[in-house]
Amino acid sequence: MSRLMSEEGIRIDGRRWNELRPVRIEVGVLKNADGSSYIEFGKNKIVVAVYGPKEVHPKHMALPDKSILRCRYHMLPFSVEERKNPAPSRREIEISKITREALEPALILEDYPRTVIDVFIEVLQSDGGSRCAGITAASVALADAGINMRDLVAACAAGKVGGRIVLDINDEEDKMGEADMPVAYLPNLKQVSLLQLDGKLTADEYRECLNLAINGCMKVYNMQREALMKKYFSTKDEEGGSVED
Amino acid sequence: MSVKKTTTIVEQLRRAQMNELLALNKRLDGRGLKDHRELRIDVGLIKKANGSALVSLGNTQVIAGIKVEVDEPFPDMPDKGLFICNAEVLPLASPYAEPGPPDEDAIELARVVDRGIRESEMISLDKLALISGKKVYAVFADVSVLNADGNLFDATSYAVVAALLTARVPKYEVQDDRLVKSEETIPLPINTVPVSVTMAKIGNSIIVDPTAEEEACMEARITIATDEQGRVCAIQKGGSGTFSVEELSEIATLAVSIGNNVRERIKNAVAPASTNNDNDNDNDNDINK
Amino acid sequence: MIVKRYVLPGDLIVEGNPHIKPLANVIKIGDRLHSTRIGIVEVSQNGVKVIPLSGIYIPRVGDLVIGKIIDYSALAWEVDINSCFLGHLPAQDVFGKEFTPGRDDLTKRFDKGDVIACRILNFDRTRDPLLTVADKDLGKISEGELVKIGPTKVPRLIGKRGSMIQMIEHLTRCRIVVGQNGVLVVTGADKDMRDVAVKAIKMVEEGAHTMNLTERVKEMLQGVQVGR
Repeated sequence: MSRLMSEEGIRIDGRRWNELRPVRIEVGVLKNADGSSYIEFGKNKIVVAVYGPKEVHPKHMALPDKSILRCRYHMLPFSVEERKNPAPSRREIEISKITREALEPALILEDYPRTVIDVFIEVLQSDGGSRCAGITAASVALADAGINMRDLVAACAAGKVGGRIVLDINDEEDKMGEADMPVAYLPNLKQVSLLQLDGKLTADEYRECLNLAINGCMKVYNMQREALMKKYFSTKDEEGGSVED
Repeated sequence: MSVKKTTTIVEQLRRAQMNELLALNKRLDGRGLKDHRELRIDVGLIKKANGSALVSLGNTQVIAGIKVEVDEPFPDMPDKGLFICNAEVLPLASPYAEPGPPDEDAIELARVVDRGIRESEMISLDKLALISGKKVYAVFADVSVLNADGNLFDATSYAVVAALLTARVPKYEVQDDRLVKSEETIPLPINTVPVSVTMAKIGNSIIVDPTAEEEACMEARITIATDEQGRVCAIQKGGSGTFSVEELSEIATLAVSIGNNVRERIKNAVAPASTNNDNDNDNDNDINK
Repeated sequence: MIVKRYVLPGDLIVEGNPHIKPLANVIKIGDRLHSTRIGIVEVSQNGVKVIPLSGIYIPRVGDLVIGKIIDYSALAWEVDINSCFLGHLPAQDVFGKEFTPGRDDLTKRFDKGDVIACRILNFDRTRDPLLTVADKDLGKISEGELVKIGPTKVPRLIGKRGSMIQMIEHLTRCRIVVGQNGVLVVTGADKDMRDVAVKAIKMVEEGAHTMNLTERVKEMLQGVQVGR
């Protein structure tokens, strides 16, 4: 047993193998944005803004049949131990790309031809799993912006730590563990829109890990729902049923 | 900011033909759904590099070169050598390629190839330390795409792997805390041969080794690197579509079996070169044979 | 039959009933109807739709909107109508068929920054919405207070057959022009009453999905009247 996993199966931060870190999601945190959200996922603190659909500049970049989705995942210089250069790193460029590809299947971009939708993900403080937390928050912000979506996107990682398949890898487990598998999932359509893996897994472990991550995505999905329901439907007479006119 | 670009536009007629064929488990170029294109690997053609490989995967052609230098280790890993992988799509590689800094596709390409090699622990980085905390070997793998016709991920990965397998690096002696370069060269410490297998999803079909035309029609793509023990070491899903859990399960099984096949091809291609360091072997390494 | 009333994107609304048609903000996937927005499910004889609670304004032909002139060429004005599509108001619509570029100066009628009430004459998402000011009550707005609310809250602010907006107008003695794009102009002689009207509008915006809203707004407005 390594120091990441105790004899009793307790992880370095006290969690069991199938437990998520504490998660808090807030909707509508930025006044200027068309949609926004804030997420705390373990020590991750991430704010997301969505602008759009809006006009494309320059105009010739616009697509005649659908909206363009643009994503930027960015870490603030003070979000990590050692100051990070504010210019986008190769890692951030790759994460921006896979984030866009994880969100795109959920969006009905054909409803907004000749426009652009911008998603800005700013990591204020980073922990393991910031890309998943970013995708989770971005999906909530897109719903808040009122963009037509086929489904929400919930993301969560699973991995292998101290020889065991565990849910939701934190920073230390990511650095010292054997494998990290971020997954994004469309819960109603039952489709995987992001899958990455760093580290070795046998074929059986791979399947176990994927299923556990999807399990985690479903838990995250329920928290996304709660946050959105709270913002849009929580009033004293919420359960009253019909709205008057 | 990350934006999707459109490059190859496939004629609707051809797209319809492709879908028609896929329904019959056939492809435009006559391959089966799970077949790679012809793979050719030529190693050692760049004498100035410590290792090199020219890989053709159908019409996709890439060249990889290994340069090994002595550098300082990362402070948190004083006894580990460095491995740095870079990739670029040269302006001559396609009518859509432009000169300039690497775009998101090139960055993803380099990072995915790097991940497959790093996570499989192909090179024992801990055997690359020369003076603890001060001097280590730094292995640079640079890949240039010469002709882009789809599946740059696999072609690039095979080129880097073949170049690493055949690379020879100068041997250093440590004398009074200083490095002295000897005339002798040694191979890199290799643990395993990782193999990347890329598949695309078009409609309900999963196809291996997509061409540029097939990539232009695909909904999603997945690259899986496996090692000699049949373990999965790195995965990257790409594209704006999705996979079901069942598809992902099938894909992993395929990646292992196809990977084993390709691994033999790579090993055969580098075998003569690593023994006599001479390489005019134009062996036909069609992996589908 | 209807699974739930308050829905989020992706939520299942109806399953396995081919007789219910998907209308606004509802998509069909297989034999299942899903919501595409945060909103409230509404069933009618024609099918099922979701009344969204968030989102930008998408033009519809016939809508009255309030826009801002942001640019002009020799032939037309560009109008910001609080949407992802720019409104296009051709000079001919204002000057008539006799319009001659070069002779007629567009800025004599509307200049950059001017606020206008206009109607969506034509729109199909492939081209920018075509506007018109050729009707009574349309054209430049030269006085009043501009108020912006979420475009999805406009139907609630108007109420059934205008009940909500008429009540606010009546009790504040203000006139309120409501653009479907969520831009409003409040006019009235008394500054305090204009403020009360704005307060009522904001109250409707924030409580758009709650019950007995008309009653509560009325209470608030009458409270102010009594206090004066």
